[in-house]
Amino acid sequence: MTGRAAALGWLAGLLALAVLPFLVKNPFLVHVVILVYMWTVLGAAWNVLGGFAGQVSFGHAALFGIGAYTTIILFLKAGVAPWWGILWGGLAAAVGSVPVGLICFRLRGPYFSLATLAVAELAKLVALNWEWLTNGPVGFLITTLPPLTILGHAVNWEAKAPFYFLAALLLLVALASTAWLSRSRLGAFLVAIRENEDAAEAVGIDTVRAKVLTLALSAFLAGLGGGFYAFYFRYVDPDAVLNIGLSMEMVFIAMVGGLGTVGGPFIGAVFLTTIGEVVRERFQVGHLIFYGLFMMIVIRFLPEGIWGRARIAWARVRAGAHRHGAA
Amino acid sequence: METFVQSLVSGLLTGSLYAMIGIGLTVVFGVMRIINLAHGEMVMLGMFAAYFSQKLWGIDPFASVLVWAPVMFLFGMALYRTLLRKIVAGGELNTLLYTAGLSLLIANLALFAWTGDYRTIILPYGLTPMRPFGIAVPAALALGFGLAVAITGALWAFLNRTNLGRAIRATSQNREAAVLMGIDVERVAVVTFGLGTALAGAAGVLLAPSLYLYPTVGELLVVKSFVIVVLGGLGSVPGAIAGGLLLGVVESLGAVYVSATYKDGLGYVLFLLVLLYRPAGLFGVGKS
Repeated sequence: MTGRAAALGWLAGLLALAVLPFLVKNPFLVHVVILVYMWTVLGAAWNVLGGFAGQVSFGHAALFGIGAYTTIILFLKAGVAPWWGILWGGLAAAVGSVPVGLICFRLRGPYFSLATLAVAELAKLVALNWEWLTNGPVGFLITTLPPLTILGHAVNWEAKAPFYFLAALLLLVALASTAWLSRSRLGAFLVAIRENEDAAEAVGIDTVRAKVLTLALSAFLAGLGGGFYAFYFRYVDPDAVLNIGLSMEMVFIAMVGGLGTVGGPFIGAVFLTTIGEVVRERFQVGHLIFYGLFMMIVIRFLPEGIWGRARIAWARVRAGAHRHGAA
Repeated sequence: METFVQSLVSGLLTGSLYAMIGIGLTVVFGVMRIINLAHGEMVMLGMFAAYFSQKLWGIDPFASVLVWAPVMFLFGMALYRTLLRKIVAGGELNTLLYTAGLSLLIANLALFAWTGDYRTIILPYGLTPMRPFGIAVPAALALGFGLAVAITGALWAFLNRTNLGRAIRATSQNREAAVLMGIDVERVAVVTFGLGTALAGAAGVLLAPSLYLYPTVGELLVVKSFVIVVLGGLGSVPGAIAGGLLLGVVESLGAVYVSATYKDGLGYVLFLLVLLYRPAGLFGVGKS
């Protein structure tokens, strides 16, 4: 895409984000859109590390969980308003990710993946058993949200709209930071690491530093998503926010959309979350059946993801047009 | 002292079943270099097979292993043929993610079909534990242990004494050399995947009377089997046996002497330490 087309795309996207809640009145639809945004943030968080740097983590549920617990504990025990708590949740996840990265990044490939899985399981055990901090298996519930006034209007927390705009803001943060990363020096380092880690090291890239920094960014986004979850659903317990299934959903969203692309997680979230929520409405359980199935189909037939395939096709069309123009 | 011996024994008995699950994962890794994240679901299917054959047809779970192990063998081969073969060629991360999808699919189909209720198998002869030398040994665990030893022994003989078994070990040691010696590695891969699935399924059948059954139990078991396999060294069968027994003992002693709630955590900590400091396994025989 040229610079101008990209700018136009961002502008159109922003406009669509801003007007959508005024056009869609059905609360269930708005709820689904909110979840799509939240899962885009989470898919983007995973994609930063898994897609750009090629480090497949199965432990992102732990980072999500840190964000969710930080937000809800700060609110219930220290009275910090959850909209600030989300930010603290992201920061806590980023800080917590550094020691994890320093340990796990000594391993490569599938070994790294298995180590992150163990870290996530440990995090869940801690949340289940460290009762004075986490309330154990019971978890926390927010009964009333604190009042907030924006531009003289009191915010109605029973409506979907405030959460919609918050989710949209987080979505922009996630997409903008991925877009920044894909053009930055760090992003180039990551691609080099993904393609050949030894060669990257040989040309002088500090691979551990690059990976730890990326994990921190990834953790920050995952923590924001977790904080938003706690704020929106007002309920946090180890099964809800530290489940391995959550890590898998993040992987699937990034994968289905297209690894290492900016728009991929959004496309992945649109597909998977919409299908998931519609199935959940109908059958209660079973939406994960479709996640698993989708994952298998995508890897088998569309390993570059939906957005990735679309980009390749677009490039081919343009190349074709060029040739025709020249001839 | 009595508590110590008691928990050591029950740890070893459970560990023998863990070892079977681990062997299944490790032979598949050895031959195909894939980490099968759906391995835990194969154990889960074995557990439910035992449950339903007792509930619907009144067959003793330990007798039903004679049926279910071959059935799981065929199921594994079919799974590899139809779904996995094309993926394995695409690299280990693709396979990892693909089997993650498969795991989610199987677990949630089971959840859909059988609900998330916790179930138990009650054995008429399993209510009072046996007491050899004053140590209480649950009958279900003792029987499971005996059959696990027998099955592992049979596998050992197969791998060492038959041509197909030798072909499997050869492929595991060096795939290119095996091809040059005229071994049909594709056939070896199919059989190995069948074997791995059969071991997981049989272990599930044998474990079922001693554990709660629920459709997502595989999630817990798959992580345990990674711990076992990494402890023993990826690709090594004796390593998986040692790793399984070690994990059983660590969990059982940890539950008594450290903390019952953190017993699973001990396994994960051990796992991380071994991954970091002895990535080829405690005995240095694995392939990293």
